[in-house]
Amino acid sequence: MSKHSALNTFGRSGNPAFTRNFDKTSAIPQSERMTLDGAVNKTAILLSICFGGAFIGWNMPALAMPGLIIGTILAFVTIFRNPAKAGTTAPFYAGFEGIALGGITVFAEAQYPGIGIQAIGLTFGILASLLFCYKSGIIKPTENFRLMIFSATMGIAILYIVSFIMSFFGSGIGFIHSNGMFGIGFSLFVVGIAALNLVLDFDFIEEGAEQGLPKYMEWYGAFSLMVTLVWLYIEILRLLMKLRSR
Amino acid sequence: MNAIFFSILAIFSLFVFMNLGKIKASKKQMDRNDRIKWGNRRRKSFFKNRSTIIEGKAEEVKDDTEK
Repeated sequence: MSKHSALNTFGRSGNPAFTRNFDKTSAIPQSERMTLDGAVNKTAILLSICFGGAFIGWNMPALAMPGLIIGTILAFVTIFRNPAKAGTTAPFYAGFEGIALGGITVFAEAQYPGIGIQAIGLTFGILASLLFCYKSGIIKPTENFRLMIFSATMGIAILYIVSFIMSFFGSGIGFIHSNGMFGIGFSLFVVGIAALNLVLDFDFIEEGAEQGLPKYMEWYGAFSLMVTLVWLYIEILRLLMKLRSR
Repeated sequence: MNAIFFSILAIFSLFVFMNLGKIKASKKQMDRNDRIKWGNRRRKSFFKNRSTIIEGKAEEVKDDTEK
């Protein structure tokens, strides 16, 4: 039994997509089950679509904001409405987010040439190194680990929302965007949390393949990996911009 | 030079991801008791705290004791 009474009372996972799909997996035929190969291949497909979208966004930066808004709506639809439809919504999500990232990168490149490829290299570098650490057992995600990462992610999300709302009234939380030591420290913390979210995604995919979840969960696993990668890329870009502006 | 280095890093990392991602995680990772339980344990843990077994010696209930 866990030391955390809330976990004992309400269960381990609050994510409806995860909890719904881990039940009753024994009735699914072998060919209809989630595999590691399938999840990795689908991630590669989503990454290719994202790069295609980024090419469009790079050439038409004005589409960045609509792309970001539509991509965010699609992400919420996939998470909360119907994870079984991830095979349909995830490619569109990847495309629209790609357009947004392409546009954002153009603006960053205009100020700091060469920053885009640095952010891409670092994002995939972190992805590969954390995957190695996870597969080899150097990093072992536990319930407490998940609780910690989830709390920190929620904290960051609330901070960003508050800052966004305050910006309408002409004020804001200054240190988030500053290029001082505190601002860079905050960005480093956020990059760390975004990177550790990748470990949770790896564990979910590994466990899903082991439990033999339905095939559509391959798309869902690839989608969750894409969401984290998009966030990580944006945060690395912000961190590099702060460092270069000093 | 900067662009070449980070391009190679990105391509190499993607190659590692595509190959390593398809390999099952090590036993050190998988055979643990403290792994994350992604499934729903809500109902199970809820009922675990509300045991229906009453501890103590059983006594026979007689309806006609007060008659």
